[in-house]
Amino acid sequence: MFYIKMADLTIAIDNRYGHIVDLCKDYIVEETVIPHMTARATEEEIDKEISLTTDRKVSRAYAESICVYRNICKRLPREFGAFLVHSAVIEYEGEAYAFAAASGTGKSTHISLWKKHFGDGVRVINGDKPIMRFKGDKLFAYGTPWCGKERYGENSSAPLKAFCFLERAETNSIRRATSSEAVSRMLSQILTPETLEELDALFPLLDRALSETPCYILGCNISEEAAEVAYRGMNTNK
Amino acid sequence: MKIRNGFVVRTVAGESVVIALKEASKNFNGVIRLNETGRFLWDRLESGCEEGELVAALLQEYDVAEDIAKNDVANFVEKLRGANILE
Repeated sequence: MFYIKMADLTIAIDNRYGHIVDLCKDYIVEETVIPHMTARATEEEIDKEISLTTDRKVSRAYAESICVYRNICKRLPREFGAFLVHSAVIEYEGEAYAFAAASGTGKSTHISLWKKHFGDGVRVINGDKPIMRFKGDKLFAYGTPWCGKERYGENSSAPLKAFCFLERAETNSIRRATSSEAVSRMLSQILTPETLEELDALFPLLDRALSETPCYILGCNISEEAAEVAYRGMNTNK
Repeated sequence: MKIRNGFVVRTVAGESVVIALKEASKNFNGVIRLNETGRFLWDRLESGCEEGELVAALLQEYDVAEDIAKNDVANFVEKLRGANILE
């Protein structure tokens, strides 16, 4: 058992393997008497995860880390008003931008273009699986130990400026997403609720997040101009 | 006609979406969005309306010709059947 703090929550992780300890190293805190939650993965869940991962071979230790995070994330909406959005989140000028797209579209490539174009002022909060949580009247994006195979990310957070849905395109352009586009794209990047209770905890959060946070569709190529077009499109007041 | 157990509709950012929970999600991927008429019909299907009743409800609620209403209902029902949403 060890303890981490992420998204302002203290979580006890009742682990079986060492991999998850290494994964969480930047988030480990002292033993806490009353953590916000205790998370674990059962042997059955690990078995199931391995059998469902057909595209590559995964170790039990790796599968455990995936299962533990899923178990944490399932509980976040109902218990803590937080939720996972499969996306790459960067911080620039004190604000966070969440880029979401189907796997393989080029989220990692796009955020690396921001780093290249805007320099060290751009920090990657989480390259793959950040947590979103309302703090006061603002939605914040939080870093987590689970940040994709490249392990882009850090233990930090920032108020979320926008959701930006990426599409590959010949030329770079950005526009506001319609609410139906925003809803359908967002719903494909969340952990699908399995029960009515999970659904009715998550959906009011998504409703609020999508109503209060601007959503954009960025058609982009892999030139640095893509980052410039994205930034300008999401900062029309600057 | 009845909507299969596990399919529920919710409103997010003003959009009506159909979600499949648990067992229902095994044969259903993705999200179905409902427009205003779709939501109207869905709510009536949930209370067990048959096709004829759906047409009647549509005619009562909206200013629409009967053949168009019939056609809309038939298309909607076919879509739901195709997605394995109806029992």
